[in-house]
Amino acid sequence: MSDDPYTTLGVKREATQDEIRSAYRALAKKLHPDLNPGNKKAEETFKEVAAAYDLLGDPEKRGRFDRGEIDASGAERPRERYYRDFHAEGAQDHPYSTSGGFADFMESDDVLSEILGRGGGRARFRIRGQDVHYRLPVEFLEAVNGATRRITMPDGATLDVVIPPGTRDHQILRLREKGGAGIGGAPPGDALVEIEVSPHKLFMRKDDDIHIELPISLPEAVLGAKLDVPTPTGSVRMTVPKGANTGRVLRLKGKGVARRDGSRGDEYVTLKVVLPDRLDSEIEEFARRWQAGQQHDPRRGLEA
Amino acid sequence: MISVQEFLLRTRVEHRSLEAWIHAGWLIPPQTEPELAFSDVDLARAQLIRDLHDDLGVNDEGISVILHLIDQVHGLRRSMETLLNEVRGSRQG
Repeated sequence: MSDDPYTTLGVKREATQDEIRSAYRALAKKLHPDLNPGNKKAEETFKEVAAAYDLLGDPEKRGRFDRGEIDASGAERPRERYYRDFHAEGAQDHPYSTSGGFADFMESDDVLSEILGRGGGRARFRIRGQDVHYRLPVEFLEAVNGATRRITMPDGATLDVVIPPGTRDHQILRLREKGGAGIGGAPPGDALVEIEVSPHKLFMRKDDDIHIELPISLPEAVLGAKLDVPTPTGSVRMTVPKGANTGRVLRLKGKGVARRDGSRGDEYVTLKVVLPDRLDSEIEEFARRWQAGQQHDPRRGLEA
Repeated sequence: MISVQEFLLRTRVEHRSLEAWIHAGWLIPPQTEPELAFSDVDLARAQLIRDLHDDLGVNDEGISVILHLIDQVHGLRRSMETLLNEVRGSRQG
């Protein structure tokens, strides 16, 4: 390299740090090897310029150089391979390779596409797009019954996601070719949508079945009743048999979660007898007088 | 493959910048699971981005444009090379 880094950068010895920096930038813009992929000489010149800037760009080093404490030798920046080296002849293809600069020639010219397409030539430029991951929160009933949700992708495009009936929490839906764009005519990647099902205030899901706890009154428990019970597809009328107790489980067949084959799981209704918030004297009087009730021991066999 | 740690060390790039560059699509790590890893190409490309940003004073929009054009130039050079080899081959044959 030139002995004098000031000459290399083309600045005066009394130049300010700002002047040195802009002189370096101006040269680097012209000489950076990656901006001159076909020019071998640029790399040599750039090295000299970079070394000179290494010395003069740092006020402390520059001062020591000016006082003659260090010289310009050995100041070269070690540099690993430049980006352009990965595009040299015979280099392997990588995700950044693109045929965008000449794809239109290949389309309109059979001879050219034959040549460029030969020997894996075209295959080198074809890379399938990346898979893109999304998360989509859905309501409990949307997952159970199925729904369509529109999501907006980072590039502003929208995507309709069909949530099939019976979709589970954390289930991943693969939308073919809705991911990142492919390179060189290769197909796009897939969009992988992870479904997050929010819990429901009434329903609990266990596999394909729905579980629900149903409060009933004392007269309903004693005498039996016909009650409206919520299910994922609306309420249905259910018969509570006479003498139904807390913990009794009734099954509503086919009122559970939709399955892929069109059938549905069941809904299990667990009864819970609930006394009114306030008891009146009538029921207190009855409980005191009720002989069989006084003798009934619900904790029999519970002794430890 | 190059780990994130090694990558940051060798490129002298901050972790936040690296994340931003990946987000901008300037870098496409070949491996994301179980953890991020990079290839030599990514390393050289990151050093180019760093040079553009730190030394040449190019702003983010400029870097996107430059990378896109550079990649196209390389694609063109490769196809030019293939074509030239084809022409040379047919002349000799």
